[in-house]
Amino acid sequence: MTRLDRPPFPLTLLRFWFLRLLPAWFGIAAIIFLMQIAIAAIVHDNANVRTFLGFLRLLPSIVRTALGGDMLDSGNMTALLTVGYQHPFVMFLYMVFAVGTPTGLLVGEVQRGTMELILSRPITKTQVYICAAVLTLVGMFCLVMVMFLGTVAAVHIYTFSEPIDLNLFFRLAMNGGLLASTFGAFALLCAASLGRLYSAIGVAVGFLTLNYFIAIVAAWWPKMEFMRKVTLFYLIYYSDLWQRWPVENMAKLAAILVVTAIVGGIIWRRRDLSL
Amino acid sequence: MASVEIRSLTKWYGGSRGVEDITFAIEAGEIFGYLGPNGAGKTTTIRCIMGLLRPSSGEVCVLGRRVAPGRGTQHGRIGYLPGEFRIWGRPKARTSLGMLADLGGDRSAAARRKALAERLDLNLNRPVGDLSKGNRQKVAVILAFQHQPDVLILDEPTAGLDPLMRQVVLDMICEAARDGAAVLLSSHDLSEVSAICGRAAILRDGRLVEMAPISEILQQGEHRLKVWFKDGVLLPEVPLWHLPGVRVVEREPGVLHVAYQGTADPVLKWISQFPVDRVTTPQTSLQEAFIQYYQQQPGSITRTGGALKGSRS
Repeated sequence: MTRLDRPPFPLTLLRFWFLRLLPAWFGIAAIIFLMQIAIAAIVHDNANVRTFLGFLRLLPSIVRTALGGDMLDSGNMTALLTVGYQHPFVMFLYMVFAVGTPTGLLVGEVQRGTMELILSRPITKTQVYICAAVLTLVGMFCLVMVMFLGTVAAVHIYTFSEPIDLNLFFRLAMNGGLLASTFGAFALLCAASLGRLYSAIGVAVGFLTLNYFIAIVAAWWPKMEFMRKVTLFYLIYYSDLWQRWPVENMAKLAAILVVTAIVGGIIWRRRDLSL
Repeated sequence: MASVEIRSLTKWYGGSRGVEDITFAIEAGEIFGYLGPNGAGKTTTIRCIMGLLRPSSGEVCVLGRRVAPGRGTQHGRIGYLPGEFRIWGRPKARTSLGMLADLGGDRSAAARRKALAERLDLNLNRPVGDLSKGNRQKVAVILAFQHQPDVLILDEPTAGLDPLMRQVVLDMICEAARDGAAVLLSSHDLSEVSAICGRAAILRDGRLVEMAPISEILQQGEHRLKVWFKDGVLLPEVPLWHLPGVRVVEREPGVLHVAYQGTADPVLKWISQFPVDRVTTPQTSLQEAFIQYYQQQPGSITRTGGALKGSRS
């Protein structure tokens, strides 16, 4: 196929899917944004911090680990604010978007029978995949930016007794976005490879959950510490993220993201869809 | 140059056969019937033409270009109506149809869409999910016709439509063919196939078992004779052991309905022994011819017949 024969990029499909995703994206973004404000509302006041820490100490140690571990016990406000970035509920919301978007757009359209209509128009399968990939990856990054904007807003709304380093939060957000997009790419791969919606969702959620729990257990249980390197979370949890940009880990994540997305694209293009 | 050309198309799904060694061509302006029982491979063939499935072997050319699976080859010039039409339920029919037309960069489809909706008496401002089955089928018809395609691939285009709308759709197909479009019409409604198709292919177990002009298909297999004996004549027993290929279809008082294969000579000679009032030859319907093809033993007896372009017989 020469360049002249290739159909133009289907911006129409991109816009159509974008408008369908927008309500769900907006809902998730609003919750994540408000979550940052809510966390800041709790931790900006010393009395609240003491209560908050007291509450955290009541939680099982594995749950404390999931929320940020020993770092929280220091009472450092910056550390406490990061709870909003690694709270399991926030993680769940990211997972909903990362898994729901590509599976809904690719396998979902196939299973609904509408992919047959889309592919009956001058559009290539690769272009369809790129549209789903763009919406997944850009959508994930935008969610992370909303989370960062939530922190920025919170810092301007509330007065903290110590300076809050927004650069750190930007670094956290960017790395979190990269990690979330990598999981999004894995969900894309599942959506491109599997014929059934629930199979794709199941495998993607399973992979993500397994990564998350291995990361938590490895951080919580010293005997399992050797496991921490096998999860993708290692690339943001155990880096020197607090001091500087972890360029090497970011490059690794970006490489995994790109390779996973490309493999998904190749599989999607080559396999017969179960229309 | 044929508008649609299929050469030795074979498609296997793992170990099971979809279609095998299918070869045919559809000329511009021709309406080509594509018949076969459920699971015969009609949809597989159609999806290979549309590049939705990757053939195991053979090739498909549309408008002179080889179809590359998943590349949307010539799709801007193909009108496609899938057998099982499903579309997004929440958006208005106008929105979904508009989006699909825009995918081909066809900005002039809106006017044609409006004209087609008026002709089919369809309100495009309603969400598709709220439409009845028949009205959803009208949406499918508009989808296929809205960009004035040069090739129409229609899988059961009149399913679920009332007789009036069915006629409108058949008229639209004939008009498109008169304007030079090549039409592949897959349908279980054999009356509409015999009404508008010039030529048809019959598929069984993934293989073509017949391809000929409709008039020729109608003459295949059994022929019928209805014999009215004179009043008071006792209906004779047919000596079937002397008349191979003959069977009695029905016996009524004074009337014998027989079917025969091959020449009518032995039957007529036997009838001539009796006082006969009149003999009529009911026309074989496509349905009868169709059923006979399905009842034949498996095996390819493919042959090609001349094209009757866009004719209404």
